Amino acid sequence: MNPVARALWNPIVAKEYRARMRTWRSPFAITVYVVLLGGIGWLVFSAIANNTFGSGLSNYGQTLFTFLILFQVALLAFITPALTAGAISGERERQTIDLLFVTPLPTFSIIWGKLLASMSFVVLLLILSVPIFSMVFLFGGIELDQVLDAFAVTGVTALTLGLVGLAFSSLFRRSLVSTVAAYGAAFMLMAGTLLYGLLLPTEYDVNGTKAPAPPAVTLLSPVLPLFTIATSQPIPTYGTRFPNAYLSTSGGGGGCYSAPDGTTTCYGSGASLPSGPAFVGQGVTQASTLPSNTLVGPVTQASGTKLPSGLFEGWEYWQANVVMQLAICLVALVFSALVLPPVRRFRLRLRPAAAPA
Amino acid sequence: MIAVENLTKVYGKRAALDHVSFEVPAREIFGFVGPNGAGKTTTLRILAALLAPTEGRAFIDGADVTRDREKVHSRIGYMPDFFGVYDQLTVAEYLDFYAACYRQPKRRRQKIVDDLLALVGMTERRNQLVDTLSRGLKQRVCLARALVHDPAVLLLDEPASGLDPRARVEVREILKELQAMGKTIVISSHILPELTELCTMIGIIDRGRMRATGPVQEVIARLTSGRRLKIAVLGEKDTAIEILTPLPSVRQVTSVNGTIEAEYEGDERTASDILLALTGAGIRVSEFTPMAGGLEDAFLRATSEEV
Repeated sequence: MNPVARALWNPIVAKEYRARMRTWRSPFAITVYVVLLGGIGWLVFSAIANNTFGSGLSNYGQTLFTFLILFQVALLAFITPALTAGAISGERERQTIDLLFVTPLPTFSIIWGKLLASMSFVVLLLILSVPIFSMVFLFGGIELDQVLDAFAVTGVTALTLGLVGLAFSSLFRRSLVSTVAAYGAAFMLMAGTLLYGLLLPTEYDVNGTKAPAPPAVTLLSPVLPLFTIATSQPIPTYGTRFPNAYLSTSGGGGGCYSAPDGTTTCYGSGASLPSGPAFVGQGVTQASTLPSNTLVGPVTQASGTKLPSGLFEGWEYWQANVVMQLAICLVALVFSALVLPPVRRFRLRLRPAAAPA
Repeated sequence: MIAVENLTKVYGKRAALDHVSFEVPAREIFGFVGPNGAGKTTTLRILAALLAPTEGRAFIDGADVTRDREKVHSRIGYMPDFFGVYDQLTVAEYLDFYAACYRQPKRRRQKIVDDLLALVGMTERRNQLVDTLSRGLKQRVCLARALVHDPAVLLLDEPASGLDPRARVEVREILKELQAMGKTIVISSHILPELTELCTMIGIIDRGRMRATGPVQEVIARLTSGRRLKIAVLGEKDTAIEILTPLPSVRQVTSVNGTIEAEYEGDERTASDILLALTGAGIRVSEFTPMAGGLEDAFLRATSEEV
């Protein structure tokens, strides 16, 4: 057997498949997954039928796809940590881990086997969701490449959550602890990073020529790229804000005006606003630092599916997300490989080791 | 085959092993005896390359357990004291999985599994789920698992614990068969009479220190022979006890079934002094025999005092 085949092949995968598919849990999880995803599709479909989302058939497709893809990634955020967080710690609890350690299987093969077995189940779930997603094409408004991009982001998200779960499973002796840690990490990845964008957004540079992008850390969440893929535009105003001085105008008004060409022009206090379709600024009451009747701007606001500035300038949102998540995967994989062996090359002790009986 | 040199393992401030040394030649069955917490499992885990020693070295068939872990793993079959099994796998699948882990070719695995099941007498249970087996049967399956790659050395940590007498006898017979097949076996156990019968060598460990090691009868003789005397006298047994009790070398005197058993400290000269004290006092001694102690006696002596 050549070294590559030897590294990729290992019997853990076959054993895990066999054991997993012989329990009632797997068919149950598959059924619940399909029913929930189908259920959300049916709800959105019903809402569309009742004209809840307004007119425009292509919007129907977009709306349905947005709901489905975001719901799917949320479901996987619940399922994937459960698949991997107990994979190694469960072996410790069952007292089978030493029996694996005395075989010639390298540590990496044990991790790889566990990961492959878990991810195969996730891939099975993704494949089972394809018929549900095909409903989107009934309405149009979504191209095949958008679906593929969204599935790529979803798959990489599941991989990241799986590897983070495995890392915790390698670190902690108890499955309960590793499961809690894995779900905590999943929450941080999915929602914590989005919250960061709300609390510490990127400020508009009033002298800048480029529209600001949300902080890079917010791109770790799959929600942002999935929304962008589905709607072909970023979440409006998310992750960006005007400087305080810029917003703090008073009296006679002031604020920002979005022109139809996508640019936004902002005015200080006392300036008369041109008529237009949108008035973007909010809390525009007092200009403490800007003199009256001062024209500030123009400021370009982000549009489209590419990041307008920042670390990943010019990249698609989903590309930045995939790259960042893969970086986390790599770190989690290396971490797992370092902490799993019974005889480590370095010491990482959460508590003093207990002597065997 | 197995060489242990000054093995030391320290947990925090407590030394679980304190400069333990012993050797086990090929094809021997080495019994590792000691009270709970003596360091048996720690030693076996170090030998299995599952634990790094704080100090000292150990070799399995020339392979250093800290440096040549892969070689060590290919040469040992390890059976821990507590082990789990995978649910949802049958006995045959369980063994096949480990045979695959040991990189046995697929075409050979079927035969390996069949042979091992025959060896441990479980052929008829090959399709039973492992998790549903009794403890004794699980022990047998785990022993078979340790043999899937035909290792030269077997490290068995309490293989007979929790087994009923019949199952113990069966395990003992299997181990004898394995010895006949040329395996070197290290076995830790509390069941001393069985070790006497099964083992060719023994090591007694207590509080992390090796108290005695060597061939079984040699260790027993070293620790017990000449220290207990069976004395029979003609009449005047009470007088003989009165003479023996105050002697400084005599620790304990008991009357057993018409004879006297005297426990003493010293060597053969001391024994002759005791005999002289009796005959000098006019006691007619009809029997004066050094008693050979058993492993249990040797174990108690080794673990109750510094040797």
